Amino acid sequence: MSLLRVCAFTSKRLNTQLLFVDLSFAGCLRTASGAAKDKEPLRKAKTPQGRFDMDDEKPKDPLQKFPDDVNPATKEQGGPRGPEPTRYGDWERKGRCVDF
Amino acid sequence: MMAGVSRILIRRLSSSQSLPPSVRCCSRNFHFNINGKRDDAKVSNDISQYPVVDHHFDAVVVGAGGAGLRAAFGLSEAGFNTACVTKLFPTRSHTVAAQGGINAALGNMEADDWRWHFYDTVKGSDWLGDQDAIHYMTEQAPASVVELENFGMPFSRTEDGKIYQRAFGGQSLKFGKGGQAHRCCCVADRTGHSLLHTLYGRSLRFDTSYFVEYFALDLLMEDGECKGVIAFCMEDGSIHRFRSKNTVIATGGYGRTYFSCTSAHTSTGDGNAMVTRAGLPCQDLEFVQFHPTGIYGAGCLITEGCRGEGGILINSEGERFMERYAPNAKDLASRDVVSRSMTIEIREGRGCGPEKDHVYLQLHHLPPQQLAVRLPGISETAMIFAGVEVTKEPIPVLPTVHYNMGGVPTNYKGQVITHVGGEDKVVPGLYACGEAACASVHGANRLGANSLLDLVVFGRACALTIAETGTPGEKLSPLKPNAGEESVANLDKIRFAEGTIRTSEIRLNMQKTMQNHAAVFRTGDLLKEGCDKMDAIYQSMEDIKTFDRGIVWNTDLVESLELQNLMLNAVQTIHSAEARKESRGAHAREDYQDRMDELDYAKPLAGQEKKSFDQHWRKHTLSTVDIKTGKVTLGYRPVIDRSLDQEECSAIPPAIRSY
Repeated sequence: MSLLRVCAFTSKRLNTQLLFVDLSFAGCLRTASGAAKDKEPLRKAKTPQGRFDMDDEKPKDPLQKFPDDVNPATKEQGGPRGPEPTRYGDWERKGRCVDF
Repeated sequence: MMAGVSRILIRRLSSSQSLPPSVRCCSRNFHFNINGKRDDAKVSNDISQYPVVDHHFDAVVVGAGGAGLRAAFGLSEAGFNTACVTKLFPTRSHTVAAQGGINAALGNMEADDWRWHFYDTVKGSDWLGDQDAIHYMTEQAPASVVELENFGMPFSRTEDGKIYQRAFGGQSLKFGKGGQAHRCCCVADRTGHSLLHTLYGRSLRFDTSYFVEYFALDLLMEDGECKGVIAFCMEDGSIHRFRSKNTVIATGGYGRTYFSCTSAHTSTGDGNAMVTRAGLPCQDLEFVQFHPTGIYGAGCLITEGCRGEGGILINSEGERFMERYAPNAKDLASRDVVSRSMTIEIREGRGCGPEKDHVYLQLHHLPPQQLAVRLPGISETAMIFAGVEVTKEPIPVLPTVHYNMGGVPTNYKGQVITHVGGEDKVVPGLYACGEAACASVHGANRLGANSLLDLVVFGRACALTIAETGTPGEKLSPLKPNAGEESVANLDKIRFAEGTIRTSEIRLNMQKTMQNHAAVFRTGDLLKEGCDKMDAIYQSMEDIKTFDRGIVWNTDLVESLELQNLMLNAVQTIHSAEARKESRGAHAREDYQDRMDELDYAKPLAGQEKKSFDQHWRKHTLSTVDIKTGKVTLGYRPVIDRSLDQEECSAIPPAIRSY
């Protein structure tokens, strides 16, 4: 806690810097929440990320958690969610194969 | 900004002696002052005008992935003053991407024996694996997994509370005669991530000194003995020499030599290159594992389940080309057949895209409901990594590298070896573990779930060997004051390079050449052409151009150094592949489709004459490079066919590998 006291004399310079950071952060928040409707909405390129930005609702995770985290078929606790990853002979997860 | 504040703090703190020690310790000199332990780092001007900081440690580990962390804290636990030099923060190493599991014959799901795991691994390696190292790994597997679990790794459990084991490829019971074995222990679907975090957390308990974001340039070798490592701090551009009696290389693989790979951008084979520049050989670099369907550009792999559920591979003419190569199995043919067919299509000009270098995986002819139920999450994956709507457009795919079996040759204890006068000779002071090493447990082909096991077992083995053969606090032998000056001269040359070709262009040339010539489809002519092209690209490194002349966070410099490392790995890979005239495991040639062993194991052995060492191919390739000319010299070393203890576990004699 003595460290805080030592830092205090430099805090004046820190404060102004932090305030500036705070303002710009708040500014970003306002635009992201859609409150600035009077302005033209930012045109994002047709990138995959851009397409996700247009959609306001969060996409649901396609892999649901098991009740109590216990797989009802195999009685495994704490195992991978969703269908068995090794069912196709490799380790499959959301269409991706993982090598290990 | 924070750095500026801290510098003010240091100056004020260091001047006021009345402050308590805990405050004085919180200075910006994080790297040389860990936990208040003042390291006797001295600055000198011994080599060139760059100031060099000299450190003394009992052991240095290069790389902080699964194997590096296990070795580092194993050594710290044994009392050695250890430094861990890594170019990435430990939890950012590529181990984090290994989502699957670890194999161990724990016997929780059914009766199991590590000797059956031994048999499976020897068979999987196509009898190119050293059976003593495989014996060591499979015997230590249950103890290693239990040790990880004791460290806090949250494996998934059965109802009884034991570790849940699932079935995974290539594992059988009773030496292949008892059906599928359940040996793969996992942590939900993020085993590698969890392993890395567990090991890192555990290592913080011991006082290992971490040197994070230090790029290791070269080994400090003197009279054939390794006396440390020279590294470059990326943050402030200082050169550091880490002198120690024991150096462990755990730098990972070199997937980035190929155009399409699943590895991180940082998998550049730095350890292999350091060993090559030290004049030591690398082993079995031609064995590279491919997966047929990796997304073009991104490098993520698409599961074979897509084809299992009805997905088809099409070329630029819209033809389902697998019907020609495998009329019965079609798209469900085995991986190597599919990879080879895709490569032949691309070579014959029927590839897709502007550069005609990939094929398409079509799933939009399947009902979207079926896709969503059977392969949940695939539309998300396709959109994020390929930018395609999987229900409307096909996914661009091509064969992709995902593992390197080859690396720095070691014995089963983790000591690096060379082959002199027909005998294996240990290089004093040098050890290797993980994907960078070639022990060789994976031989010609690696089985799934064995690589994470390889990391922990051999990381621990290196630590145990060093603890057995040395004592903490041993006096270091003297080192020449100008040791490491070639590395610094090279750094300086690259930093001020004024050629005509950019780093990224040379790298792309190398990657495309390797993808076209040294990928899945290998024939004599193609490999020969590739060798000539790679030699030319190696020479073009003389003409490299860098733009950033600074010394702080110079990523242009670091990428160029990484490119030098990649280049050494690439030339050795393609020359070794061209020389090996047989097909074994992951190295499959169209012109030599059979395995060439000392005896023909497909026929009865009685009455056969054993071929001499020069005439058969059941041997390890040892490759060295002349750094100036880029010429690759190849030597060979026999496979070790005895297990560590013939009574406990008898070695498996070679046989034909069929699944």
